[in-house]
Amino acid sequence: MTEVPGQTAADLALDDRQTRPKNIGARIKRTEDPRLLTGRGTYVDDRQARGMLHVAFRRSDHAHARILSIDAAAARAVPGVAAVLTAGDLADDAVPVHAVSRMANYYATPIRALASDKVRFVGEPVVAVVAESRYVAEDACELIEIGYDPLPVVVDPEAAVRADAPLLHEEAGTNILVQREFKRGDFEAEMFAAPVRVKGRFRFHRKTPTAMENRSYLAEYDGGRDELVLHSSTQVPGIIRNALSEALGMPGHRLRVIAPEVGGGFGGKASLYPEELVVALAARKLGRPVKWTSDRMEDLTATSHGFDETIDAEMGLDHEGRVMALTADVIGDVGAYSIYPWTCALEPVQVVSFLPGPYRIQNYRGTVRAVATCKAPTGPYRGVGRPISTFVTERLLDMAAHRIGIDPRDIRLKNFIQDHEFPYRIGSGIVWDRSSFTDCLEAACKAVDYDALRRRQAEARAAGRWFGVGIASYAELTGIGSRISVAPGMPLNTGTETARIRIDTTGGITAAFGIASHGQGLETTLAQVVADKLGVRVEDVRIIQGDSAAVPNPTGTYASRSTVLASGAATLAARTLRAKVFKAAAHLLDASADDLVAEDGRIYVPHTNKSTTFKDVARAVYLEMGRLPGEAREELEAAGTYDPVLGTTTSASHVAVLDIDPATYAIRLEKFVVAEDCGRLINPLIVDGQVHGGVAQGIGAALYEEVVYDDDGQILTASLVDYVVPAASEIPPMQVVHMQTTSPAIGGFRGMGEGGTIGAPAAIANAVSDALAPLGIEIDELPVTPERLFRLIQAARSRTGDQE
Amino acid sequence: MKPAAFDYLAADSLDAAAAALSRAGGDGKVLAGGQSLMPMLNFRLVRPSILIDINRIPGLAYIEATDNAVRVGALTRHHAIETSPVVKAHLPVLTAAMQHVAHLAIRNRGTIGGSLSHADPAAELPMMALLLDARIAIQSYGGRRTEQARDFFVGSLATSLGEDEIVTDVEFPRLAPGTGWAFEEVARRSGDFALAAVGVTISVRDGKADQVRIGMMGVGETPLRAPQAEALLSGRTVDGALLDEAVASVRSVVEPNSDLHASGEYRRHLVGVLARRAIETAWRRAIGDLQ
Ligand SMILES: Cc1cc2nc3c(=O)[nH]c(=O)nc-3n(C[C@H](O)[C@H](O)[C@H](O)COP(=O)(O)OP(=O)(O)OC[C@H]3O[C@@H](n4cnc5c(N)ncnc54)[C@H](O)[C@@H]3O)c2cc1C
Repeated sequence: MTEVPGQTAADLALDDRQTRPKNIGARIKRTEDPRLLTGRGTYVDDRQARGMLHVAFRRSDHAHARILSIDAAAARAVPGVAAVLTAGDLADDAVPVHAVSRMANYYATPIRALASDKVRFVGEPVVAVVAESRYVAEDACELIEIGYDPLPVVVDPEAAVRADAPLLHEEAGTNILVQREFKRGDFEAEMFAAPVRVKGRFRFHRKTPTAMENRSYLAEYDGGRDELVLHSSTQVPGIIRNALSEALGMPGHRLRVIAPEVGGGFGGKASLYPEELVVALAARKLGRPVKWTSDRMEDLTATSHGFDETIDAEMGLDHEGRVMALTADVIGDVGAYSIYPWTCALEPVQVVSFLPGPYRIQNYRGTVRAVATCKAPTGPYRGVGRPISTFVTERLLDMAAHRIGIDPRDIRLKNFIQDHEFPYRIGSGIVWDRSSFTDCLEAACKAVDYDALRRRQAEARAAGRWFGVGIASYAELTGIGSRISVAPGMPLNTGTETARIRIDTTGGITAAFGIASHGQGLETTLAQVVADKLGVRVEDVRIIQGDSAAVPNPTGTYASRSTVLASGAATLAARTLRAKVFKAAAHLLDASADDLVAEDGRIYVPHTNKSTTFKDVARAVYLEMGRLPGEAREELEAAGTYDPVLGTTTSASHVAVLDIDPATYAIRLEKFVVAEDCGRLINPLIVDGQVHGGVAQGIGAALYEEVVYDDDGQILTASLVDYVVPAASEIPPMQVVHMQTTSPAIGGFRGMGEGGTIGAPAAIANAVSDALAPLGIEIDELPVTPERLFRLIQAARSRTGDQE
Repeated sequence: MKPAAFDYLAADSLDAAAAALSRAGGDGKVLAGGQSLMPMLNFRLVRPSILIDINRIPGLAYIEATDNAVRVGALTRHHAIETSPVVKAHLPVLTAAMQHVAHLAIRNRGTIGGSLSHADPAAELPMMALLLDARIAIQSYGGRRTEQARDFFVGSLATSLGEDEIVTDVEFPRLAPGTGWAFEEVARRSGDFALAAVGVTISVRDGKADQVRIGMMGVGETPLRAPQAEALLSGRTVDGALLDEAVASVRSVVEPNSDLHASGEYRRHLVGVLARRAIETAWRRAIGDLQ
């Protein structure tokens, strides 16, 4: 294996000699939690500012209409209203931003603060009322009269692609905002030759991220300095800073975006929002702090949705169950706009990118069309594309196993890419580095005692009970570096991370990053890495993140990237800083830097009584001029930038165990097992938590959650009564098993924030199909709600003449 | 999602509350646990000119056993009913039903008076009131009256309460010792409003079903009884064939609505399944086959 810069044998040997690592791999409780759990975290909405104004939006109640007139006179007259803003009022204050891309056949829709000319989905912001309180702003909102000329509504993505379909964006000339195809091998001939062929039309319905904390923005503008600070509950303060710079025409050093405590994102806070632009523009225009906090209805209607694909897929296999070819046509319903910066291609294109999964499938064709409809835009959602690709491929494998008469476990073991075949380029072009595909499945089956479950199932079936076991295996690309992130040609690529670590005069150690933790516990994990690499204690390290001013190239946290990239950057920076500290310490101790060891904040020469501390070194360097020669008094600060170039492969196998009430059709999950390989674990407690949360969200996708629009484009799931999210009582006991194949990235880590959501829907769909195998039911649509199950079972029973 | 402006009065007596409600001339709203009213205010689905808060009125939250009934004050919280030994001793089916009402945080605030007045067709307490032939006591500025539960619920979220009336207490006749009972519910998540639920009480005389009551919810505009099925079972021994008949009868009388969570057809299916289970369990309890 070629050596990775920053991870060479010499680097590792030096780390080994100079430090006594004790934090990476330890189950350390999250240092964030005491403040968060005792209510002392400060979220955006907790922040107050003197003279602060509040925004309420008048949103479109039409799915598609031309705006003819806006009469806001009555709203402006309400006492306490500071301003009523329309697109026209902001025309000179900002330029639209575009999620551009080099992809062929792509149209970048303009993103504006407020709808101008046309509205394209119910919930789109049209007018902003800025007032002394949210109450007054909402009162005034009701008084605004908007004249609309309703246009034909496009709800069904398959209707939207027809030549005569009404267009959302006339300038694009089509509702197909992007179209792509991936091909490899002679898929046609192989499919034709395959003795076993299984196919289906699969449907994965639209979901919405529903973070606990709704989106919230507070902008403060200092007119004297022409400086704007936006506090935003965002996952991507750096990206928002860049977008604001473009939209508002302000350079980055006058703009600062701070993401303080953020209560979950799941992708829903990873894009630029019109409301964010409005708050920033209003603050600059009015010269007063302006805040908007989304209510739950706004969150469900106007935060980016996720998923929403229809996939026609076919798999061809030989008699032994080896896959010969796979083809798929995907339609992604991406809603009304191409979201910034990811573009509307992000979600549906990843479906075709990941369909071949961890399997040796060399003959592949995947086509995808991203189609605009009159719905909220889709954006990143935990798992992005992969929950859907995994659902389809894993369903097809089970259908094939059933047809051929082999066990679902065995068909996967037969098709996995084997250890000696890595790195392996799959049909869509993605390259997997070595990861425990086979070991994960075997470990999961062992943990769940798979053979015993199959015996239980035989007994259950004999007694007329419906008991199912479902497996899903997948691989995903995490911690992507420059080469992958540049590929789609988006407005900005984020394949690197920078860490800046400094020791101040008091010996305080501060490590600043461009990422933005919003529930992942990155303050803890990054402190573990910095502590080990410097040779100090976790509590000695303060982590700064979620602040666009922290490093020159701030980014955010998304795509299972932060641990891989930021840990790598922290490692590089810490090594440089350690060398500076050791140089000074060597003088103080009259020793050779090569003989020093740093541990728990102490620097010593083993087997002697020569020792000092980081704190003392800092004093000597900064404050006690006589103690060190000039050349040993370097500023105790270092930066490191890491680029994993390709990224890392994370893999897992999930097993769901469930039974179905044969009369009410209620599904009861009995157990869920995950065996995953995220490389070296930094903090197993946090990894387990991420898996648990991800699986819970996957359970939501499998059984509960679905955004529903009616034929007029009205959203029917605008409250949490109608949009059904699983709660603790719906989540079964979980067991997580860790494989630790070290990755080629610095530290050997792999990203793992999304995996739970990727495997769970497929595992549950397979388990439900397995339970209902006696009725010949194959689940091809998620979520599989009681109602859908009712219809499937009634239909099957009327086919077979079977009674309840 | 902020309510429109309203006045607020924390009443310190029923008389004061009734007077204020009367003064509001149909524009006032009683605030009890707030678990249904507050969301409606925030959605601006209701815009009362004044909220009359009854939470500080003394003596409105109690559970007491009388000679042949259990009386529950209107401000009694769901959690108090759920955990009351008096209720468990005399109305065990009510104890069972209360486990299905929302989540603990909501049960700590929500009240029986609020639940009956709100009259959600998929709520447990209205159905229990109907099943157990409860009598609802009502006060207004003009005086007091009582209403039988069967006359109280007139539609979805609609009752016979006048705009100036306040529920003060609910009287449930005790179940005779030895009465068999059961409560069966299906909801999408634990704590959700029911897709369908069935409550049954059966007393036995000479080995045969005697008094049979079947209550249903989630399958019509109001909670429902199933008089045909009740009659069918009376005087007979419950067995598989009779259960089939009862299930068919129950399914034939309901006209459930479709919504996002379930079609009318599925609800009709469910109510039959739940009726079978509840009748069977209640019967087995009644004949001493099950504790
Ligand atoms: C998430 C959630 C889940 C829920 N799930 C369930 C469930 O599964 N089952 C269920 O039964 N309920 C459920 N509820 C509703 C809950 O039980 C409410 O507490 C109940 O419906 C109303 O009681 P309240 O005391 O909160 O009434 P409030 O919200 O205060 O009032 C409701 C209505 O009744 C009127 N009112 C209140 N008290 C009186 C009175 N004494 N006289 C006259 N009018 C009065 C009010 O003016 C208002 O119109 C749920 C609620 C929530 C928020």
